[in-house]
Amino acid sequence: MLNEKIRREKMPPTFDMEKCSGCGTCDDICPADAIYMKTSDDADVPYLKYPEECWHCGSCRQDCPEGAIEIQFPPDMLSI
Amino acid sequence: MEVTNLSTDVLIVGGGLAGTNAAMGAAEKGASVVVADKGNINRSGDVGGGVDHFLAYLNQDPEWDTQDAFLSYVEKIGRGTGHLSIIESVFCAELPDAIERMARIGNPLTQPDGSFYRTGSMGQPGTYWINFNGKRLKPCLGEAVRKLGCTVLDKVIMVDLLTHQGAVVGGIGFHIRTGNFYVIHAKATIIATGNTNRLYENPRINPFNTWLCPFDTGDGQIMALNAGAALTNMEYMRMTLLPKGFAAPGFNALVGMGGRFLNSLGEYYMEKNHPMGNRAPRYEVVFYTLEELRKGHGPIYIDCRHLNDKDLAHLKTTLGYDKDTLPDYLTQRGEDLGAKPVEITVSEGMQAGPTEVTGSGVKIDKDSASTVPGLYACGDAADHNRCAHGAVTGGYKAGKSAADYALGLKHADSVPPSTSREEINRFMEPLNRTSGYPYRQIEDAIRKVMAEHVGPMRSEQGLKIGLDKLQRIEQYLDEMKADDLHELMRSHETRSILSVGKVMAHTALFRTESRNKPYHHRLDFPDTDNRKWCGLVVVQKKGHEFSCSFEAVP
Repeated sequence: MLNEKIRREKMPPTFDMEKCSGCGTCDDICPADAIYMKTSDDADVPYLKYPEECWHCGSCRQDCPEGAIEIQFPPDMLSI
Repeated sequence: MEVTNLSTDVLIVGGGLAGTNAAMGAAEKGASVVVADKGNINRSGDVGGGVDHFLAYLNQDPEWDTQDAFLSYVEKIGRGTGHLSIIESVFCAELPDAIERMARIGNPLTQPDGSFYRTGSMGQPGTYWINFNGKRLKPCLGEAVRKLGCTVLDKVIMVDLLTHQGAVVGGIGFHIRTGNFYVIHAKATIIATGNTNRLYENPRINPFNTWLCPFDTGDGQIMALNAGAALTNMEYMRMTLLPKGFAAPGFNALVGMGGRFLNSLGEYYMEKNHPMGNRAPRYEVVFYTLEELRKGHGPIYIDCRHLNDKDLAHLKTTLGYDKDTLPDYLTQRGEDLGAKPVEITVSEGMQAGPTEVTGSGVKIDKDSASTVPGLYACGDAADHNRCAHGAVTGGYKAGKSAADYALGLKHADSVPPSTSREEINRFMEPLNRTSGYPYRQIEDAIRKVMAEHVGPMRSEQGLKIGLDKLQRIEQYLDEMKADDLHELMRSHETRSILSVGKVMAHTALFRTESRNKPYHHRLDFPDTDNRKWCGLVVVQKKGHEFSCSFEAVP
């Protein structure tokens, strides 16, 4: 369970919930169908449902109106 | 489950670069258009996040920058892999309009000062690559398509074509979030689903970490094949060179700007092996790189240290246009192109055209028509289109031709069949299973078999064993289990991937020579035999069997 949590949180893209307005653009345009919205504390927030399927195309970061998305590559991609 | 019935002149399967241009071509002819895509057409396909290159001749130099010189180049690097007359029709004749259209929709091929920034590589006689900022290309195209009044079905995967009296009359698909089914009756249908990735074992661990879009899984080619259409050039396994841990495109930018391939002995091996050196055709660079690795001269690097500051700055910028996150990757990995060579490696294999200028997939004629009435194809899914330049030109051409066909049909002739609830339920079966195998488990087995038996070193024995194993895997397809609609989509992709693998093995067995090595390299027939094999292997489905034939390219 802990591994699963790390996997989801450390795979790109990551969402800055301070900046995110919950507009759903990233969910709408992700070509991997990897990003979904969920309700958390009465707010709509995006989450990465299928982290392994991200192609790192950067569309979510480019289209996010709040600049709330960052790309941090995981160790397997940076180390091999 | 709801079922929505739609009726249209032209249905386009896939809304990537080719599909959106096809939608424009058909709509601007006055046809009604439905375009369906697994993603959102504003960001889907190979260039969803951006692109930095477009191949064109611009008539600025009489020696190499002309249509004749371009076609000579096609013949040189792609001999026997395409008919020049078809390339002339679906690419050359469309090129001026395509360049103008890109400017018209708001993503011109020019630099901010109005000039073209051009580089050459991959065996070109001059500088055919136009470098440009294509990061807004798909959003611009998406908006243009919507503005033309096309019906856009985002997040809808098409799973089968409808046929009636020997013609294709539309298709069936479902929405990957709602599960709503769409039965779309169309007078003409265009396949624009790209090439086939996720097909070979991935040297970067994750099968989705692919050079080109991992959501392109050959769905359209296989639907076309099942509907009776012929495919060609399916034996070619395409590879490139990529940064070690990240399968980002960028090869042409690196080589076009003057990058040099370096082995671990400190030798610039392409300069030693090929008269065109680092700017040799892509398949030659991959071939000699594999040779270096086999000789124990790896790892392999791309060396850009000799570039001046201006060229380096351009290179870094253009790499980010081709793959938005590649600069982030290089920074996070601690790479600096100007300071030290960057380790690269040979990519995973994919099923795609043997060169940048000849394709693979649905066999098309000069009008982008397949061998089945009512069915057209374009982009990487068609056998005479490839890459961004082929998608923009050939896509628009397919759209125009399909519209002409649809608008010319006599209505009384084409009463489409109705689709029963039972037929639709068949596509949902993995969702209803209480036990079974996840798609990933099946796909992993396919990738392993493809890499070991249908890879860059092929033989009759190995290919036959590969086919046996693929047939064994096929028995498990009906035991795939999907936990949700997303997995249901992937399960359908797995079926396409397996079928493409089988078609590749069959066609590779049939072609008893080697061509564009290592893309089709038979160890038991290592030479290129232009007396016997200068042409296309054409494959069709007869019942459950594949039937191969040979079509000479004069």
